[in-house]
Amino acid sequence: MKHLLLASVASLLTATSAFAQDMFLDNVTVLASDGTRQTADIQMRDGMITAMGPELAATDGSTFMTDVWVSPALVASVSTLGIVDIGGERDTNDTSANTDLASASLRASDSFNPREVHIANARRRGVLYAAIVPNPTGNTIFGGTGLVVSLDGTNSSVLNDTALIHIALGESGARRAGGSRSAAMSQLRGALDDVRRSYLTQDEGDVLRRRDARALRAVVAGRVPLMISASRASDLMAIIALKADYPALDIIVVGAEEAHLVANELAGAGIKVIVDPHENLPDSFDSVNASLDNVVAIDAAGVDFAILGLSSFRTIKAGGLAHHAGNAVGNGLSREAAFQAITGTPARWFGIDLGTMDVGSPASLVVWDGDPLEATSAPVAMYRDGEALSLESRMTALRDRYNPTIDDDRPYKYR
Amino acid sequence: MMTLRSCLALSAALLVACTSADDSEKETKAFELPTAFPSTYTPMASTTTLITNAAIIDGTGAATSANSLLIVDGRISAIGTDLSADDATILDAGGRFVTPGIIDIHSHLGNYPTPSVNAHSDGNEVTSPITSEVSAEHGVWPQDPGFDEALQGGVTTLHILPGSANLFGGRGVTLRNAPSRTVQGMKFPDAPYTLKMACGENPKRVYGNKGGPGSRMGNIAGYRKNWIKAAEYKKKIEDGDEPTRDLQLETLAGVLNGDILIQMHCYRADEMAQIIDLSKEFGYKVTTFHHAVEAYKIADLLAENGTCAAMWADWYGFKMESYDGILENIPFVHAAGACAMIHSDDDKNIQRLNQEVAKARANGNRAGLDISKEEAWTWLSTNPAKALGILDETGTLEVGKRADVLIWNGDPYSTFSRPDQVYIDGALMFDRETGLKPQSDFRLGTEIAR
Repeated sequence: MKHLLLASVASLLTATSAFAQDMFLDNVTVLASDGTRQTADIQMRDGMITAMGPELAATDGSTFMTDVWVSPALVASVSTLGIVDIGGERDTNDTSANTDLASASLRASDSFNPREVHIANARRRGVLYAAIVPNPTGNTIFGGTGLVVSLDGTNSSVLNDTALIHIALGESGARRAGGSRSAAMSQLRGALDDVRRSYLTQDEGDVLRRRDARALRAVVAGRVPLMISASRASDLMAIIALKADYPALDIIVVGAEEAHLVANELAGAGIKVIVDPHENLPDSFDSVNASLDNVVAIDAAGVDFAILGLSSFRTIKAGGLAHHAGNAVGNGLSREAAFQAITGTPARWFGIDLGTMDVGSPASLVVWDGDPLEATSAPVAMYRDGEALSLESRMTALRDRYNPTIDDDRPYKYR
Repeated sequence: MMTLRSCLALSAALLVACTSADDSEKETKAFELPTAFPSTYTPMASTTTLITNAAIIDGTGAATSANSLLIVDGRISAIGTDLSADDATILDAGGRFVTPGIIDIHSHLGNYPTPSVNAHSDGNEVTSPITSEVSAEHGVWPQDPGFDEALQGGVTTLHILPGSANLFGGRGVTLRNAPSRTVQGMKFPDAPYTLKMACGENPKRVYGNKGGPGSRMGNIAGYRKNWIKAAEYKKKIEDGDEPTRDLQLETLAGVLNGDILIQMHCYRADEMAQIIDLSKEFGYKVTTFHHAVEAYKIADLLAENGTCAAMWADWYGFKMESYDGILENIPFVHAAGACAMIHSDDDKNIQRLNQEVAKARANGNRAGLDISKEEAWTWLSTNPAKALGILDETGTLEVGKRADVLIWNGDPYSTFSRPDQVYIDGALMFDRETGLKPQSDFRLGTEIAR
């Protein structure tokens, strides 16, 4: 029995190697990036879907898989993948910098390492795109400029090196700005106004140095999103008021645990929101009203939202993205809305091309061994523009070295 | 006088005291752990209930054909096929899954409660690396809203531990997840105390510039020095001396005596192996390694020594000693015949430990194992109960045990499933349909309480 199982795993592993090969997928649930789904058989040849429809006949020589799911790759709308190896080791951690010399102009793309091991670990769980977000520290509410990447592990991973500027409000922003929310909002408004200033020297702004004001220009013009970490309903209302004063701002709020209390206002102001459906505890006085109903309420109000896992260790938890969306479904969100919130929605916000699953085009898709929203499911193959991407990682190498089902008498270090 | 039982319970290093008592007739007495802060837990009212038409996972690890469960006076009085009972309230489960209540062996609910304001930071006594005199129960706030949410996720018993800053962090306490104004009102009656110890990075990081330990060498030296003191303290008492009561050494002596169970924070495989040898040097047993991110590398050693490992499904990489995490840790440890279990260490994760086990099982089976749903359930309640010394009382659905029972609205290994009803000691504590649930004082008067 053990050997039979091993054989079936081995065949799946072959299917996930970096070489595109012919696959016949029988009885596939095909999920689109808007969350809609259909059932079909799929024939793939050389990384291209050559046929999709009911009751197809397999082409000879194809790897055969049945009852699988196919979807676009997942998008992590906030992550620190590639800018930290080990959170607890300061020298390996480029997620934040305590410097008076720069704030908004700190570019996370300068820190990004496409070979960081967590990237492959996230990719093998179906996540191929991520917004990489630097965090504020010290006495500024600005974390810096974030980027959007493909988690393909190559030198051309960076899709947009100026994808967002991140700031913190709420208790965290207040602490950094000197001790109150008022100070944080004053710092933010001062910074936005500095953009219009003609600097003669580098440090004559109210809040920002010259290079930081330059970095913020695209935000004030609405060309680059302003990502704001905030939770409390009153902070969300302050953000809505800010948007009224600076209408061009493209605002994405991260956290938004109390969004359900101001859902209609957020929808009316066109403010985007990223929520973690697991957040239901009053972690601080920022989120006294955190509730599992949050995501359902903002969906009902028509808020434009994405889903991710925000809790501690979020760097590596990008891998668990689908799990968080699945729990939103368990708590009442529609499957369509949940899946869209980890694919189509963040892709639209950040200009990520998820590719196509159309017949006759090089395929961009993930083949899953079950419903991607079930935590028990995992990808068995991943393609981008017809190219098969590896689902191997340091984690799988460790797994294979210590796998008790593999008979190998060599000492572990020789395996 | 020393009883046979306590004589047998004595560690190898102290058997001398037992033997010499027989030989020389010298007056000796057994070391006994004084009791304090006794449990005042009383179950909520329950009625005689017969659950029928249930898909039962009983926690024994084997599949069962039983489909009904009789609860009398808060205990399981019968489990079998198509049982009937006069005078029982019949609860037709309608084919739903029925399982034991979930037990989390590693929680900081109450001692790191929400809201996590500075005033609530009561989990680590970060004033010395040796604080075996403190006890988690004195830092637990029963109004932590996390208890209520964990209950809705099916957690009926949980173990609150001090943090991992110290070599000896203090005693842990096992609680019923029952609403109470006091910690004593939650304490699991007669559950053994535990002692939290910590390996590796945390103690040396916290104390490296505060007098040490500053390295893993210092960690081990710190444990050894204090076990030596504890053995001497215990021997003095057994010899009839009456040393001044020392709370630090009393807890350690309780470990050497077998009354207090070691729960040890340890990530790295090589370090767990060192700790196992340390325990042999001083004649005690490590009951459970917690976090144990590298347990899969020494699963055979854990099995051999009868030491359990409490693990996450997929957390890793946040510090160097957690860098080698794999998704198959729990199933690989299980496959070696060792006692494996899930743990949360987190107020969100504790709300869906069934899903964490579902993930771990799926990943293990994908790697070539063949672990049944029934076997995997032992990671959720049976093995945690064993590692907490309460398996006689809870952890499985077997006759005579406390009726800690969950009824699920779907397969408990699906992300979409939730407990519909949660029973503790046969009393209905949470009911999704009627909205029955406990609510912390903290949440009163807030928007979501309305």
